[in-house]
Amino acid sequence: MDTSSPPRSQNALLASVLSLLIPGAGQLYLRKHQRGLAILAGVLVLAYLINWTLKNFALEEIASWLWLLFALFWAWNILDAYRLARGQTTYNRLGLLLAIVIIYVIGWCVTDINLDRLVTRFQDVQVVFRALVYPDLFTQEGGTWQPSENFGDIIGKVVDRPAPDWLVQLGLAQKGAKVPTPVPGKMAETIAIGLMATFLAIILAIPLSFFAAHNIMSRVPGGTVIYYAMRTFLNVVRSVDTIIWGLIIVVWVGLGSFAGTLALTIHSVAALGKLYSEEVEHIDPGPIEAITATGANLLQIIRYAVIPQIVPPFLAYTLLRWDINMRMATVVGFVAGGGIGFFVIETIRKGGYEQYAAALWVVAIVIIVVDYVSAKWRARILTGEDKVSAEAPKPFYTSLRALVWLAVLLLVFVLCWQLSEIDPRKLFEPAPTFVKVVRDFVTIDLSPDVFDTVLKQMLITIFQALLATTLGGLVAVPFSFLAARNLMGGNALSLVLYYLARGALNVLRSIEALLYVAIFVFWVGIGPFAGMLALAITTFALIGKLFSEAIENIDPGPLEAVAATGATGLQTIVYAILPQIIPPFISYLIYQWDINIRIATIVGFAGGGGVGLLLNTYFGMLQYHKAGTVVVAIVIVVAIMDFASAKIRERLV
Amino acid sequence: MLKIENLTKVYPNGTVALRDVSFEVADGEFLAVIGLSGSGKSTLLRCINRLIEPTSGRITWNGTDLTALSQSEMRKVRRQMGMVFQQFNLVKRSSVMTNVLSGRLGYVSPYQSLFNYFSADDHGRALKNLERLGLQDKAYVRADSLSGGQQQRVGIARALMQEPKLILADEPVASLDPVLSHSILKYLEQMNKEDGITVLCSLHFLDLVHRYSTRAIGLKEGRIVFQGLPQEIDDAQFKTIFGQEAERVTIL
Repeated sequence: MDTSSPPRSQNALLASVLSLLIPGAGQLYLRKHQRGLAILAGVLVLAYLINWTLKNFALEEIASWLWLLFALFWAWNILDAYRLARGQTTYNRLGLLLAIVIIYVIGWCVTDINLDRLVTRFQDVQVVFRALVYPDLFTQEGGTWQPSENFGDIIGKVVDRPAPDWLVQLGLAQKGAKVPTPVPGKMAETIAIGLMATFLAIILAIPLSFFAAHNIMSRVPGGTVIYYAMRTFLNVVRSVDTIIWGLIIVVWVGLGSFAGTLALTIHSVAALGKLYSEEVEHIDPGPIEAITATGANLLQIIRYAVIPQIVPPFLAYTLLRWDINMRMATVVGFVAGGGIGFFVIETIRKGGYEQYAAALWVVAIVIIVVDYVSAKWRARILTGEDKVSAEAPKPFYTSLRALVWLAVLLLVFVLCWQLSEIDPRKLFEPAPTFVKVVRDFVTIDLSPDVFDTVLKQMLITIFQALLATTLGGLVAVPFSFLAARNLMGGNALSLVLYYLARGALNVLRSIEALLYVAIFVFWVGIGPFAGMLALAITTFALIGKLFSEAIENIDPGPLEAVAATGATGLQTIVYAILPQIIPPFISYLIYQWDINIRIATIVGFAGGGGVGLLLNTYFGMLQYHKAGTVVVAIVIVVAIMDFASAKIRERLV
Repeated sequence: MLKIENLTKVYPNGTVALRDVSFEVADGEFLAVIGLSGSGKSTLLRCINRLIEPTSGRITWNGTDLTALSQSEMRKVRRQMGMVFQQFNLVKRSSVMTNVLSGRLGYVSPYQSLFNYFSADDHGRALKNLERLGLQDKAYVRADSLSGGQQQRVGIARALMQEPKLILADEPVASLDPVLSHSILKYLEQMNKEDGITVLCSLHFLDLVHRYSTRAIGLKEGRIVFQGLPQEIDDAQFKTIFGQEAERVTIL
């Protein structure tokens, strides 16, 4: 607060009148510039949103309520100017509360929330819940459990197929004879897509990252120009989501696993390239200097001074990316075809809920394993085990173990290559319409009606993400206490509760929002409400985990001190725990809102409403110029949110 | 013989690190460069092997004008100039052996070296140098598992791999305690006396200058304020180099 200016009590009336005429003007007059501008911006945004809501949605019954709240906000601004001028304490929280209430009422209306549907249509959704308990994975035949046909579709099966040529030539099979051939299922395909995309992304991102590292490029003539070009390129590619890349790639190479792999690869290259290049920039310059002084050339400097320093962080980022890619591989099929995502769309279309439920369970198991392996491996890299040996290490290719591993890796690579249907030739023979489509796509349509529609759906998407974050966060708070090890585990019951809570969070977290949408579409119908609920589930799981970790990381000192005063359990929570965890909680929530906006832009592909639905429709109707408008809108909103959330979190910490 | 003429270095931000510095170093000398931090010692040493490009002036080494060389010609010259650093500048995650072998990079085929291939000759030379510095049993451990004094010895071994005619040592003992300081400087002295390698070494402590160097130059704010034998640095000279408030401190 600015205490240097004298109180202008004589001007309190003038300040109030100014704020009455133009909100924030009184505050500006009192030289509280930031405050005045914030209030002015707040009033303008709220007025626009209320007006927009009433114009676009039939909501006569709440119109007067909304405007009443708005009037209250205006009145608060006058009071604020008056009290500010008199040097009295201002009611900041009241103004904030009014603004928040208005925002949430609008959000509630535009995301089409109908709580009654949760109850009235509960009968319908029971089918899905039953399917989740009895997924179609095993059948009981003659008293023994056997994998069902659906199990084969998801995991893989052995089918009699005509013998392949190489078997015939080896003399192991007759020509035309049927031999049992393993046919991988959709989940195997998904795993292959995730692995292959990560592999390709590493190969492409490593060289690119050197071009995007300032400390390397400044040693090369003309390098600074390349550096800025590469940085910009990576940032632009990164801001377009994998799913949207999928839409674009499908036009290029056609539906299938290859399109999904490519979409994942493109986004990963940009994401990894940025992380890698930052790591290259942060290396210790000392060894570079030393190696330069020996008379080494640039390549040798990179090999001996740069690479040994960056291998561990590169590996850690790659493992994290692999985890993300495996998750994205489960949904990229929604747009690109291939993988379990494609399977889920098909089964839902056919109403096969037992099959859909089985897919969810398999995804959950695979992703939990991936998550665990990636986290453990990363932890091992970051702690860094020391190898001490007195003798010269033998080259790796002389040990049998290494050879076996190499063979296994090679086999996995070949399998993944086949399963992800990689076919570089397709890149050079795009669909005949491709050039026209691209031209259409980049000539974005800004005619008023398209602009209005896109803006409407974009706002719905933002509100959808806001409500999902709020709902998920609210449910996560009490739950996170159950999943915090330092609070639970005092007795057998609380230990059981702890494991249940942790388990539930882990299972729910392993499935992407896009895969949940189907359940809620069945429950509350197609639209933003279903998308919001699906987002809320993943938000709940992720936030619940982060919150419980924040609780586990609190300083036990104050806890002990408050307990020592003879406080009850609840008092301990209020006085020793809450003050420590509220700042990280808010920071996580803002971050989650940022993430949720990205995901909200795609839940529409599964019937979750919002801008994704619009994008899907435009692509379906081959109106690529309109789709281009949507993509640009998404990129802009995501970039703004990214920037804003980073700034806000910076101020919080 | 190394001849520095009118060497000036102005950094892009306007800092003048060296002003019109001229001096000569005869082959086989152990020349100490003394001065406060920021007096231009590090810049001077790095201008000699052109890790830092001089702004103006001339550096002549055995008749070659180093400032006129192209980058690739300069690389060939760098091979004969070993460098030892205050922070050792080892690649911490690589083994001691790899660090030492990297001193050969200027000599070996660039393509083979990219695959970490060094000839048996180079391996033998590396082991010999490590043995000379008392580190033969540490050849295959990671560099960051060594103590500071050991790491600096690896740094010296790396410089020796270049078979240098000149060693540039930038505050080689400033990060080490006094006992280790003497041990490191004794190694440098040995290289100087036995192998006839010229040593240019920047130092903080006058005691060390007296004990090891054959000649000294004093830098203050980028200018040479003293040139002569170490014994000639009396109290008045000391105050010109280090400032009026400076006190002499003795280590061991």
